[in-house]
Amino acid sequence: MNQNQPQSSSSEGRADDDSALSDFLASLVDYTPTIPDELVEHYLAKSGFQCPDVRLTRLVAVATQKFVAEVAGDALQHCKARQATVPKDKRDRQQKDRRLVLTMEDLSKALREYGVNIRHQEYFADSPSTGMDPATRDE
Amino acid sequence: MALNEKSKTNSETLIPSSTNTITRARPSATDEFGRSTAKIAVAQLCEATGFHAVKDSALESFSDIVIRYLIDFSKTAKFYSNLAGRSQCTVFDLLRAWEDLQAPLGFSNGMKEIMNYAESMPETPFAQPIPNFPVIRERKIIPSFIQMGETPPGKHIPAWLPALPDPHTYIHTPVWDERVSDPREDKVEQARQRRKAERSLLNLQKRLLLCNGNRNRNESTETTTTGSDPDEDVAPAVLPVKLPIVDGDRVSVLEAFAPAIEKLGGGGVLCDDDDEIDGEKTVIPAATARPTVHFKFKSGKKFIGESLDDRNKKRDALHTIFLVGREDERDDKKRRAEYILRQSMENRQELTLL
Repeated sequence: MNQNQPQSSSSEGRADDDSALSDFLASLVDYTPTIPDELVEHYLAKSGFQCPDVRLTRLVAVATQKFVAEVAGDALQHCKARQATVPKDKRDRQQKDRRLVLTMEDLSKALREYGVNIRHQEYFADSPSTGMDPATRDE
Repeated sequence: MALNEKSKTNSETLIPSSTNTITRARPSATDEFGRSTAKIAVAQLCEATGFHAVKDSALESFSDIVIRYLIDFSKTAKFYSNLAGRSQCTVFDLLRAWEDLQAPLGFSNGMKEIMNYAESMPETPFAQPIPNFPVIRERKIIPSFIQMGETPPGKHIPAWLPALPDPHTYIHTPVWDERVSDPREDKVEQARQRRKAERSLLNLQKRLLLCNGNRNRNESTETTTTGSDPDEDVAPAVLPVKLPIVDGDRVSVLEAFAPAIEKLGGGGVLCDDDDEIDGEKTVIPAATARPTVHFKFKSGKKFIGESLDDRNKKRDALHTIFLVGREDERDDKKRRAEYILRQSMENRQELTLL
Protein backbone atom coordinates (compact mmCIF):
# COMPACT_ATOMS: atom_id res chain seq x y z
CA MET A 1 0.00 0.00 0.00
CA ASN A 2 2.70 2.34 0.95
CA GLN A 3 4.52 1.44 -2.16
CA ASN A 4 1.43 1.69 -4.20
CA GLN A 5 0.50 5.07 -2.99
CA PRO A 6 3.44 6.99 -4.25
CA GLN A 7 3.06 5.10 -7.47
CA SER A 8 -0.58 5.90 -7.73
CA SER A 9 0.06 9.43 -6.76
CA SER A 10 2.80 9.65 -9.31
CA SER A 11 0.59 7.98 -11.87
CA GLU A 12 -2.14 10.39 -11.01
CA GLY A 13 0.33 13.17 -11.28
CA ARG A 14 1.36 11.83 -14.59
CA ALA A 15 -2.21 11.66 -15.73
CA ASP A 16 -2.61 15.23 -14.72
CA ASP A 17 0.51 16.07 -16.53
CA ASP A 18 -0.72 14.34 -19.59
CA SER A 19 -4.03 16.07 -19.56
CA ALA A 20 -2.35 19.38 -18.95
CA LEU A 21 0.02 18.68 -21.76
CA SER A 22 -2.74 17.77 -24.15
CA ASP A 23 -4.60 20.91 -23.18
CA PHE A 24 -1.51 22.92 -23.71
CA LEU A 25 -0.94 21.39 -27.06
CA ALA A 26 -4.48 22.21 -28.04
CA SER A 27 -3.96 25.78 -27.00
CA LEU A 28 -0.79 25.98 -29.02
CA VAL A 29 -2.71 25.95 -32.25
CA ASP A 30 -3.94 29.44 -31.58
CA TYR A 31 -0.80 30.75 -30.04
CA THR A 32 1.75 32.23 -32.41
CA PRO A 33 5.22 32.27 -30.96
CA THR A 34 7.60 35.08 -31.79
CA ILE A 35 10.03 32.71 -33.44
CA PRO A 36 8.37 31.98 -36.79
CA ASP A 37 7.33 28.47 -37.70
CA GLU A 38 9.32 28.41 -40.90
CA LEU A 39 12.55 29.17 -39.12
CA VAL A 40 11.97 26.48 -36.53
CA GLU A 41 11.01 23.94 -39.18
CA HIS A 42 14.14 24.75 -41.14
CA TYR A 43 16.44 24.02 -38.25
CA LEU A 44 14.44 21.01 -37.14
CA ALA A 45 14.75 19.54 -40.61
CA LYS A 46 18.43 20.34 -40.60
CA SER A 47 19.03 18.23 -37.53
CA GLY A 48 16.76 15.37 -38.57
CA PHE A 49 13.69 16.07 -36.48
CA GLN A 50 10.84 14.65 -38.44
CA CYS A 51 7.37 15.64 -37.44
CA PRO A 52 4.45 16.77 -39.52
CA ASP A 53 2.56 18.06 -36.49
CA VAL A 54 2.56 21.83 -36.28
CA ARG A 55 1.91 21.75 -32.57
CA LEU A 56 5.24 20.14 -31.87
CA THR A 57 7.08 22.76 -33.87
CA ARG A 58 5.22 25.40 -31.94
CA LEU A 59 6.21 23.68 -28.75
CA VAL A 60 9.85 23.82 -29.74
CA ALA A 61 9.44 27.46 -30.67
CA VAL A 62 7.90 28.27 -27.31
CA ALA A 63 10.67 26.42 -25.49
CA THR A 64 13.30 28.37 -27.38
CA GLN A 65 11.45 31.57 -26.73
CA LYS A 66 11.48 30.81 -23.04
CA PHE A 67 15.21 30.29 -23.18
CA VAL A 68 15.76 33.60 -24.92
CA ALA A 69 13.49 35.42 -22.52
CA GLU A 70 15.32 34.00 -19.55
CA VAL A 71 18.73 34.96 -20.85
CA ALA A 72 17.53 38.41 -21.81
CA GLY A 73 15.98 38.89 -18.43
CA ASP A 74 19.20 37.94 -16.70
CA ALA A 75 21.15 40.31 -18.90
CA LEU A 76 18.69 43.05 -18.09
CA GLN A 77 19.25 42.44 -14.41
CA HIS A 78 22.97 42.73 -14.87
CA CYS A 79 22.59 45.89 -16.89
CA LYS A 80 20.42 47.51 -14.28
CA ALA A 81 22.71 46.40 -11.51
CA ARG A 82 25.69 47.99 -13.20
CA GLN A 83 23.86 51.22 -13.65
CA ALA A 84 22.89 51.27 -10.00
CA THR A 85 26.46 50.89 -8.79
CA VAL A 86 27.97 53.54 -11.00
CA PRO A 87 28.30 56.70 -8.91
CA LYS A 88 27.07 59.50 -11.08
CA ASP A 89 25.02 62.63 -10.88
CA LYS A 90 21.33 62.32 -10.59
CA ARG A 91 20.84 63.97 -13.94
CA ASP A 92 23.18 61.60 -15.77
CA ARG A 93 21.64 58.53 -14.25
CA GLN A 94 18.18 59.58 -15.31
CA GLN A 95 19.45 59.83 -18.82
CA LYS A 96 21.25 56.51 -18.66
CA ASP A 97 18.34 54.69 -17.18
CA ARG A 98 16.42 55.42 -20.30
CA ARG A 99 18.96 53.61 -22.45
CA LEU A 100 19.06 49.94 -21.61
CA VAL A 101 21.40 48.44 -24.14
CA LEU A 102 22.25 44.78 -24.35
CA THR A 103 26.01 44.52 -24.47
CA MET A 104 28.36 41.60 -24.80
CA GLU A 105 29.39 42.04 -21.21
CA ASP A 106 25.91 41.54 -19.83
CA LEU A 107 25.22 38.75 -22.26
CA SER A 108 28.32 36.84 -21.28
CA LYS A 109 27.46 37.18 -17.61
CA ALA A 110 23.94 35.92 -18.23
CA LEU A 111 24.96 33.05 -20.42
CA ARG A 112 27.55 31.77 -18.00
CA GLU A 113 24.82 30.26 -15.89
CA TYR A 114 23.60 28.31 -18.88
CA GLY A 115 27.00 26.84 -19.54
CA VAL A 116 27.94 29.07 -22.44
CA ASN A 117 31.20 30.91 -21.83
CA ILE A 118 31.64 33.86 -24.08
CA ARG A 119 34.69 35.99 -23.80
CA HIS A 120 34.45 39.18 -25.72
CA GLN A 121 37.49 41.01 -26.89
CA GLU A 122 37.62 44.36 -25.18
CA TYR A 123 39.99 45.93 -27.60
CA PHE A 124 42.20 44.92 -30.45
CA ALA A 125 45.92 45.62 -30.24
CA ASP A 126 48.46 45.85 -33.00
CA SER A 127 51.01 43.56 -31.41
CA PRO A 128 51.35 41.50 -28.27
CA SER A 129 53.56 44.10 -26.63
CA THR A 130 51.21 47.03 -27.11
CA GLY A 131 50.34 48.78 -23.91
CA MET A 132 53.04 47.17 -21.88
CA ASP A 133 55.61 49.09 -19.85
CA PRO A 134 58.63 50.12 -21.82
CA ALA A 135 60.81 48.47 -19.21
CA THR A 136 59.28 45.05 -19.67
CA ARG A 137 59.01 45.36 -23.41
CA ASP A 138 62.65 44.78 -23.94
CA GLU A 139 62.51 41.31 -22.45
CA MET B 1 37.26 33.10 -30.44
CA ALA B 2 33.83 33.08 -28.91
CA LEU B 3 32.95 30.20 -31.17
CA ASN B 4 35.77 28.06 -29.89
CA GLU B 5 34.64 28.80 -26.39
CA LYS B 6 31.18 27.66 -27.23
CA SER B 7 32.30 24.38 -28.66
CA LYS B 8 34.33 23.78 -25.52
CA THR B 9 31.47 24.60 -23.25
CA ASN B 10 29.33 21.93 -24.81
CA SER B 11 31.39 19.29 -23.10
CA GLU B 12 30.64 20.87 -19.78
CA THR B 13 26.94 20.47 -20.16
CA LEU B 14 25.00 17.32 -20.61
CA ILE B 15 24.25 18.27 -24.17
CA PRO B 16 26.08 15.81 -26.38
CA SER B 17 28.79 17.78 -28.10
CA SER B 18 27.91 17.71 -31.73
CA THR B 19 30.47 18.42 -34.37
CA ASN B 20 29.06 21.71 -35.35
CA THR B 21 32.52 22.99 -36.14
CA ILE B 22 31.89 22.02 -39.74
CA THR B 23 29.26 24.66 -40.09
CA ARG B 24 31.44 27.05 -38.20
CA ALA B 25 34.40 26.58 -40.51
CA ARG B 26 32.47 28.16 -43.37
CA PRO B 27 30.33 30.79 -41.72
CA SER B 28 29.61 32.55 -44.96
CA ALA B 29 28.13 29.53 -46.70
CA THR B 30 24.33 29.38 -47.06
CA ASP B 31 22.04 29.92 -44.07
CA GLU B 32 22.16 33.71 -44.32
CA PHE B 33 18.43 33.90 -44.43
CA GLY B 34 17.98 31.75 -41.36
CA ARG B 35 20.48 33.80 -39.42
CA SER B 36 18.91 37.11 -40.32
CA THR B 37 15.47 35.83 -39.39
CA ALA B 38 16.77 34.59 -36.06
CA LYS B 39 18.36 37.97 -35.42
CA ILE B 40 15.06 39.69 -35.97
CA ALA B 41 13.23 37.28 -33.69
CA VAL B 42 15.80 37.62 -30.93
CA ALA B 43 15.76 41.40 -31.16
CA GLN B 44 12.00 41.35 -30.87
CA LEU B 45 12.20 39.18 -27.78
CA CYS B 46 14.83 41.42 -26.20
CA GLU B 47 12.61 44.39 -26.79
CA ALA B 48 9.72 42.52 -25.18
CA THR B 49 11.94 41.81 -22.17
CA GLY B 50 12.62 45.48 -21.64
CA PHE B 51 15.75 46.45 -23.52
CA HIS B 52 15.74 49.69 -25.45
CA ALA B 53 18.59 48.78 -27.72
CA VAL B 54 20.83 45.90 -28.53
CA LYS B 55 24.44 46.01 -29.53
CA ASP B 56 25.22 44.47 -32.89
CA SER B 57 27.87 42.06 -31.70
CA ALA B 58 25.71 41.01 -28.79
CA LEU B 59 22.75 40.42 -31.09
CA GLU B 60 24.78 38.29 -33.45
CA SER B 61 26.20 36.16 -30.71
CA PHE B 62 22.83 35.79 -29.09
CA SER B 63 21.10 34.73 -32.29
CA ASP B 64 23.92 32.30 -32.96
CA ILE B 65 23.38 30.73 -29.56
CA VAL B 66 19.64 30.56 -30.10
CA ILE B 67 20.12 28.70 -33.36
CA ARG B 68 22.48 26.31 -31.65
CA TYR B 69 19.90 25.78 -28.92
CA LEU B 70 17.24 24.96 -31.47
CA ILE B 71 19.47 22.50 -33.25
CA ASP B 72 20.55 20.86 -30.03
CA PHE B 73 17.00 20.56 -28.82
CA SER B 74 15.85 18.90 -32.02
CA LYS B 75 18.88 16.63 -32.18
CA THR B 76 18.29 15.40 -28.70
CA ALA B 77 14.63 14.76 -29.43
CA LYS B 78 15.55 12.86 -32.56
CA PHE B 79 18.06 10.87 -30.58
CA TYR B 80 15.40 9.81 -28.13
CA SER B 81 12.97 8.86 -30.86
CA ASN B 82 15.63 6.79 -32.59
CA LEU B 83 16.42 5.19 -29.29
CA ALA B 84 12.83 4.06 -29.07
CA GLY B 85 13.07 2.63 -32.55
CA ARG B 86 11.05 5.31 -34.27
CA SER B 87 11.95 7.71 -37.02
CA GLN B 88 9.22 10.23 -36.30
CA CYS B 89 9.31 12.22 -33.11
CA THR B 90 6.51 12.49 -30.60
CA VAL B 91 5.77 14.86 -27.80
CA PHE B 92 7.37 12.54 -25.32
CA ASP B 93 10.64 12.69 -27.18
CA LEU B 94 10.45 16.42 -26.90
CA LEU B 95 9.70 16.15 -23.25
CA ARG B 96 12.77 14.04 -22.61
CA ALA B 97 14.91 16.36 -24.68
CA TRP B 98 13.60 19.28 -22.69
CA GLU B 99 14.53 17.63 -19.43
CA ASP B 100 17.93 16.96 -20.88
CA LEU B 101 18.45 20.59 -21.66
CA GLN B 102 17.15 21.83 -18.41
CA ALA B 103 19.18 19.43 -16.27
CA PRO B 104 22.11 21.78 -15.67
CA LEU B 105 19.70 24.39 -14.42
CA GLY B 106 18.33 22.22 -11.68
CA PHE B 107 15.35 20.03 -11.29
CA SER B 108 12.93 20.46 -14.07
CA ASN B 109 9.23 20.49 -13.60
CA GLY B 110 8.65 19.01 -16.96
CA MET B 111 6.76 20.93 -19.49
CA LYS B 112 4.98 22.91 -16.84
CA GLU B 113 7.60 25.55 -17.04
CA ILE B 114 6.92 26.03 -20.68
CA MET B 115 3.23 26.09 -20.09
CA ASN B 116 3.56 28.66 -17.38
CA TYR B 117 5.72 30.75 -19.57
CA ALA B 118 3.37 30.54 -22.50
CA GLU B 119 0.47 31.61 -20.43
CA SER B 120 2.31 34.46 -18.81
CA MET B 121 3.85 35.97 -21.90
CA PRO B 122 1.65 38.10 -24.09
CA GLU B 123 1.57 36.92 -27.59
CA THR B 124 3.95 38.84 -29.80
CA PRO B 125 3.98 37.41 -33.29
CA PHE B 126 6.92 37.72 -35.60
CA ALA B 127 7.41 41.12 -37.19
CA GLN B 128 7.18 40.12 -40.88
CA PRO B 129 5.73 37.18 -42.72
CA ILE B 130 8.52 35.06 -44.08
CA PRO B 131 8.23 32.58 -46.93
CA ASN B 132 8.69 28.89 -46.65
CA PHE B 133 12.39 28.27 -46.83
CA PRO B 134 14.72 26.91 -48.00
CA VAL B 135 13.35 27.42 -51.47
CA ILE B 136 13.79 24.34 -53.59
CA ARG B 137 14.98 25.15 -57.06
CA GLU B 138 13.55 23.04 -59.84
CA ARG B 139 16.41 21.09 -61.25
CA LYS B 140 16.50 19.91 -64.79
CA ILE B 141 16.50 16.16 -64.72
CA ILE B 142 18.83 14.58 -67.22
CA PRO B 143 16.88 11.97 -69.20
CA SER B 144 17.99 8.41 -68.83
CA PHE B 145 19.37 6.21 -71.57
CA ILE B 146 15.98 4.61 -72.08
CA GLN B 147 14.29 7.98 -72.37
CA MET B 148 16.83 9.19 -74.89
CA GLY B 149 16.49 6.04 -76.92
CA GLU B 150 20.18 5.31 -76.73
CA THR B 151 22.04 2.24 -75.68
CA PRO B 152 24.66 2.84 -73.05
CA PRO B 153 28.20 2.45 -74.37
CA GLY B 154 29.27 -0.45 -72.26
CA LYS B 155 27.66 -3.43 -70.65
CA HIS B 156 28.47 -2.23 -67.19
CA ILE B 157 26.19 0.79 -67.49
CA PRO B 158 22.50 0.13 -66.78
CA ALA B 159 20.00 1.74 -69.08
CA TRP B 160 18.05 3.56 -66.40
CA LEU B 161 20.96 5.84 -65.54
CA PRO B 162 21.07 9.40 -66.91
CA ALA B 163 22.36 9.55 -70.45
CA LEU B 164 25.91 10.55 -71.23
CA PRO B 165 26.35 13.99 -72.80
CA ASP B 166 26.63 14.31 -76.55
CA PRO B 167 30.18 14.08 -77.90
CA HIS B 168 30.04 17.52 -79.42
CA THR B 169 29.86 19.01 -75.96
CA TYR B 170 33.24 17.77 -74.91
CA ILE B 171 35.08 16.98 -78.17
CA HIS B 172 36.16 19.84 -80.33
CA THR B 173 34.82 19.18 -83.81
CA PRO B 174 36.12 21.65 -86.38
CA VAL B 175 33.54 23.47 -88.41
CA TRP B 176 34.12 23.47 -92.15
CA ASP B 177 32.93 26.12 -94.52
CA GLU B 178 30.83 24.24 -97.04
CA ARG B 179 31.00 26.83 -99.77
CA VAL B 180 33.96 26.25 -102.07
CA SER B 181 35.50 29.50 -103.15
CA ASP B 182 37.28 29.38 -106.46
CA PRO B 183 39.41 32.46 -106.98
CA ARG B 184 39.30 32.02 -110.72
CA GLU B 185 35.54 31.90 -110.71
CA ASP B 186 35.45 34.98 -108.56
CA LYS B 187 37.61 36.90 -111.01
CA VAL B 188 35.53 35.79 -113.95
CA GLU B 189 32.39 36.88 -112.17
CA GLN B 190 33.93 40.22 -111.32
CA ALA B 191 35.01 40.83 -114.89
CA ARG B 192 31.54 39.94 -116.10
CA GLN B 193 29.91 42.40 -113.81
CA ARG B 194 32.29 45.13 -114.89
CA ARG B 195 31.55 44.45 -118.50
CA LYS B 196 27.89 44.63 -117.76
CA ALA B 197 28.28 48.04 -116.18
CA GLU B 198 30.32 49.31 -119.08
CA ARG B 199 27.82 48.05 -121.54
CA SER B 200 24.91 49.70 -119.88
CA LEU B 201 26.75 53.01 -119.81
CA LEU B 202 27.61 52.77 -123.45
CA ASN B 203 24.06 51.86 -124.32
CA LEU B 204 22.85 54.96 -122.67
CA GLN B 205 25.27 57.05 -124.62
CA LYS B 206 24.21 55.35 -127.78
CA ARG B 207 20.58 56.01 -127.15
CA LEU B 208 21.15 59.61 -126.42
CA LEU B 209 23.11 60.02 -129.58
CA LEU B 210 20.58 58.15 -131.59
CA CYS B 211 17.67 60.13 -130.37
CA ASN B 212 19.51 63.28 -130.97
CA GLY B 213 20.47 62.21 -134.43
CA ASN B 214 16.94 61.20 -135.32
CA ARG B 215 15.46 64.39 -134.11
CA ASN B 216 17.96 66.42 -136.01
CA ARG B 217 17.11 64.70 -139.21
CA ASN B 218 13.53 65.29 -140.12
CA GLU B 219 13.92 63.32 -143.32
CA SER B 220 13.12 59.73 -143.35
CA THR B 221 15.82 57.35 -142.61
CA GLU B 222 16.02 53.75 -143.15
CA THR B 223 15.86 52.98 -139.53
CA THR B 224 13.23 53.91 -137.08
CA THR B 225 13.72 56.24 -134.24
CA THR B 226 14.40 54.84 -130.95
CA GLY B 227 13.36 57.52 -128.62
CA SER B 228 9.68 57.72 -129.49
CA ASP B 229 8.64 54.66 -127.69
CA PRO B 230 10.45 54.22 -124.44
CA ASP B 231 8.79 50.93 -123.75
CA GLU B 232 10.40 49.14 -126.61
CA ASP B 233 12.95 46.83 -125.25
CA VAL B 234 15.09 46.62 -128.28
CA ALA B 235 15.41 49.16 -130.99
CA PRO B 236 17.83 49.37 -133.83
CA ALA B 237 20.55 51.81 -133.18
CA VAL B 238 21.16 54.65 -135.53
CA LEU B 239 24.48 56.16 -135.12
CA PRO B 240 26.52 58.49 -137.12
CA VAL B 241 29.75 56.73 -137.22
CA LYS B 242 31.97 59.44 -138.48
CA LEU B 243 31.66 62.97 -137.41
CA PRO B 244 33.96 65.81 -138.16
CA ILE B 245 35.38 67.63 -135.25
CA VAL B 246 34.06 71.13 -135.45
CA ASP B 247 35.95 72.72 -132.68
CA GLY B 248 39.38 71.89 -131.79
CA ASP B 249 38.89 71.97 -128.08
CA ARG B 250 35.77 69.92 -128.05
CA VAL B 251 35.89 66.33 -128.76
CA SER B 252 32.64 64.76 -129.54
CA VAL B 253 31.62 62.08 -127.24
CA LEU B 254 30.65 59.97 -130.16
CA GLU B 255 34.18 59.94 -131.40
CA ALA B 256 35.40 58.95 -128.03
CA PHE B 257 32.83 56.23 -127.65
CA ALA B 258 32.75 55.16 -131.26
CA PRO B 259 35.29 52.40 -131.03
CA ALA B 260 33.64 51.02 -127.93
CA ILE B 261 30.24 51.20 -129.50
CA GLU B 262 31.49 49.52 -132.62
CA LYS B 263 33.00 46.78 -130.56
CA LEU B 264 29.73 46.22 -128.87
CA GLY B 265 28.35 45.43 -132.27
CA GLY B 266 25.32 47.48 -131.57
CA GLY B 267 23.46 44.65 -130.03
CA GLY B 268 20.41 46.74 -129.44
CA VAL B 269 20.28 49.87 -127.43
CA LEU B 270 19.16 47.93 -124.48
CA CYS B 271 20.42 44.47 -123.83
CA ASP B 272 18.44 42.86 -121.15
CA ASP B 273 20.35 39.68 -121.51
CA ASP B 274 23.96 40.51 -121.30
CA ASP B 275 25.00 37.14 -122.45
CA GLU B 276 23.12 37.34 -125.70
CA ILE B 277 24.97 40.21 -127.13
CA ASP B 278 25.67 38.45 -130.33
CA GLY B 279 21.99 38.11 -131.08
CA GLU B 280 21.24 41.11 -133.15
CA LYS B 281 23.04 43.28 -135.48
CA THR B 282 22.02 46.80 -135.88
CA VAL B 283 22.34 48.96 -138.89
CA ILE B 284 24.53 51.89 -138.49
CA PRO B 285 24.12 54.11 -141.45
CA ALA B 286 26.84 56.40 -142.49
CA ALA B 287 26.62 59.91 -141.37
CA THR B 288 25.55 62.20 -144.09
CA ALA B 289 25.01 65.70 -143.22
CA ARG B 290 24.38 66.09 -139.65
CA PRO B 291 25.27 68.80 -137.34
CA THR B 292 27.85 68.02 -134.79
CA VAL B 293 26.47 67.13 -131.48
CA HIS B 294 28.40 68.60 -128.70
CA PHE B 295 27.95 67.11 -125.36
CA LYS B 296 28.63 68.97 -122.26
CA PHE B 297 28.86 67.12 -119.03
CA LYS B 298 27.59 69.15 -116.19
CA SER B 299 26.38 68.60 -112.68
CA GLY B 300 22.90 67.44 -112.15
CA LYS B 301 21.77 70.43 -110.20
CA LYS B 302 22.21 72.78 -113.01
CA PHE B 303 20.44 70.48 -115.32
CA ILE B 304 17.44 70.42 -113.08
CA GLY B 305 17.24 74.14 -113.14
CA GLU B 306 17.46 74.34 -116.85
CA SER B 307 14.98 71.63 -117.42
CA LEU B 308 12.42 73.44 -115.34
CA ASP B 309 12.94 76.56 -117.37
CA ASP B 310 12.49 74.65 -120.52
CA ARG B 311 9.34 73.10 -119.23
CA ASN B 312 7.88 76.40 -118.40
CA LYS B 313 8.61 77.71 -121.85
CA LYS B 314 7.12 74.82 -123.75
CA ARG B 315 3.88 73.39 -122.62
CA ASP B 316 4.39 69.80 -123.48
CA ALA B 317 2.81 66.98 -121.67
CA LEU B 318 5.91 65.77 -120.04
CA HIS B 319 5.66 63.59 -117.04
CA THR B 320 7.93 64.51 -114.26
CA ILE B 321 11.28 62.92 -114.31
CA PHE B 322 13.15 62.49 -111.13
CA LEU B 323 16.82 62.68 -111.64
CA VAL B 324 18.39 60.18 -109.45
CA GLY B 325 21.86 60.16 -110.85
CA ARG B 326 22.11 56.44 -110.90
CA GLU B 327 22.05 54.25 -113.96
CA ASP B 328 20.71 51.15 -112.46
CA GLU B 329 17.02 51.33 -113.37
CA ARG B 330 16.47 50.82 -117.06
CA ASP B 331 13.02 52.36 -117.22
CA ASP B 332 14.14 55.47 -115.45
CA LYS B 333 17.08 55.66 -117.80
CA LYS B 334 14.81 55.42 -120.80
CA ARG B 335 12.51 58.12 -119.59
CA ARG B 336 15.38 60.29 -118.65
CA ALA B 337 17.06 59.84 -122.00
CA GLU B 338 13.81 60.62 -123.72
CA TYR B 339 13.36 63.76 -121.72
CA ILE B 340 16.89 64.92 -122.23
CA LEU B 341 16.71 64.39 -125.95
CA ARG B 342 13.44 66.21 -126.25
CA GLN B 343 14.90 69.14 -124.43
CA SER B 344 17.96 69.06 -126.58
CA MET B 345 15.83 69.06 -129.70
CA GLU B 346 13.96 72.08 -128.63
CA ASN B 347 16.96 73.78 -127.34
CA ARG B 348 19.53 73.31 -129.98
CA GLN B 349 21.77 76.02 -128.76
CA GLU B 350 22.98 74.27 -125.74
CA LEU B 351 22.89 70.66 -124.99
CA THR B 352 23.58 69.49 -121.51
CA LEU B 353 23.79 66.02 -120.43
CA LEU B 354 24.01 64.37 -117.10
